[in-house]
Amino acid sequence: MIKILKAGLETSVQDYPGRIGYWNQGFPPSGPMDSWSFRMANVLVGNAPGAAGFECQFLGPTLQFGEDTVIAITGADMTPAVDGEAVPLWQSLAVKAGQTLVLSGARVGARAYIAFAGGLANPEMLGSRSTFNKAGVGGIDGHSVKPGQELPLFQGDGTPGLKVPDNLRPQIRTDKTWDIEVCAGPNDDWIDEAGHERFLTSPWTLSAKSDRTGFRLEGPEWTFTQKATNKPREHGSLPSNIIDHGYPMGAINLAGQTPIILVNDGPSMGGFINPYTVPSCAFWKLGQSKPNETFKFKLVSVSEAQDLALQIAKRCVAENLVKA
Amino acid sequence: MAKQLLSPLPGVFYRRPSPDEANFKNDGDAVAAGDTVGIVEAMKSFFPIEAEEAGVAIRFLVEDGAAIDAAQAIAEMD
Repeated sequence: MIKILKAGLETSVQDYPGRIGYWNQGFPPSGPMDSWSFRMANVLVGNAPGAAGFECQFLGPTLQFGEDTVIAITGADMTPAVDGEAVPLWQSLAVKAGQTLVLSGARVGARAYIAFAGGLANPEMLGSRSTFNKAGVGGIDGHSVKPGQELPLFQGDGTPGLKVPDNLRPQIRTDKTWDIEVCAGPNDDWIDEAGHERFLTSPWTLSAKSDRTGFRLEGPEWTFTQKATNKPREHGSLPSNIIDHGYPMGAINLAGQTPIILVNDGPSMGGFINPYTVPSCAFWKLGQSKPNETFKFKLVSVSEAQDLALQIAKRCVAENLVKA
Repeated sequence: MAKQLLSPLPGVFYRRPSPDEANFKNDGDAVAAGDTVGIVEAMKSFFPIEAEEAGVAIRFLVEDGAAIDAAQAIAEMD
């Protein structure tokens, strides 16, 4: 059992790949934003890569262990400490019943992950333990964790003293700039050539008005083709309006002139165009970026994006771990 | 020795509750324990930075609207 002493900032139970199969009914997949770090945390404690653990955002929680277990912390550096002693990231650690784990504000990156041997054992909802805050589904009571809650663990079989080698960890940027892969479409033909050129060559600033629903970007103007400016009235009045349609996860959704990347808890449909889509292989970068950091977008093909995602999955296996 | 006021989390720092209100504190003001000296915006939410202890002659080290890191000193006072 894990007891929540301090909640941190919207710390939530997530599993990977999350709540798959309900997008057509409006349920997003949820799950960890940086699933690379998340899967590595699980592998370190002997779990399947997708077992339920915590996602900690910006400001971490304080937890107390109700039993002896093995844990691993990955992703953002929230300067974790057990009973006041600093503990390393990217390693499996033995902890004892009664000990307290404190995660503070994120020094490097934005989201840290905590895995427990066995995994969190909250009930599944629609096939997943992931929390979808907006609908009050999954996690514990449907929402981010609260002080005083106790979360059960499955029986685990973790080995302390294992480590993820440096070259298999995501390289979280410390210079506040990120190169983010994008695939063209589905509505790239609504943007004119100058608009594409501007999107792919300009720096975009991540707004603080960003969360697990959408990542809001600030940057230059968008310009459009005839498809956007000369269209049947039922599409709506703005160039970026379109008759309501389905959105892919990762869509760069153009609300007027403001692009918003729809992320893990995002909407499944609406009436704006999506000129580009961030593929799943780049989501870890979104998850680790902070307000006012800069994104530059790099066009890749769908097959290149799939290959990058496969390379990440191949890294997240127990055979790759070494002794700490 | 000057006492530093640290941000608990990364985000965007603001010195006033909203754009058309006055600063929480101005350089030189006295601060009581528990006073809010600024707010940090992250994930569509605002988090107050409160003084843990009292002090005098606060001096801000960070501009309104600047991005800050966790544990960054946003002000100091005597």
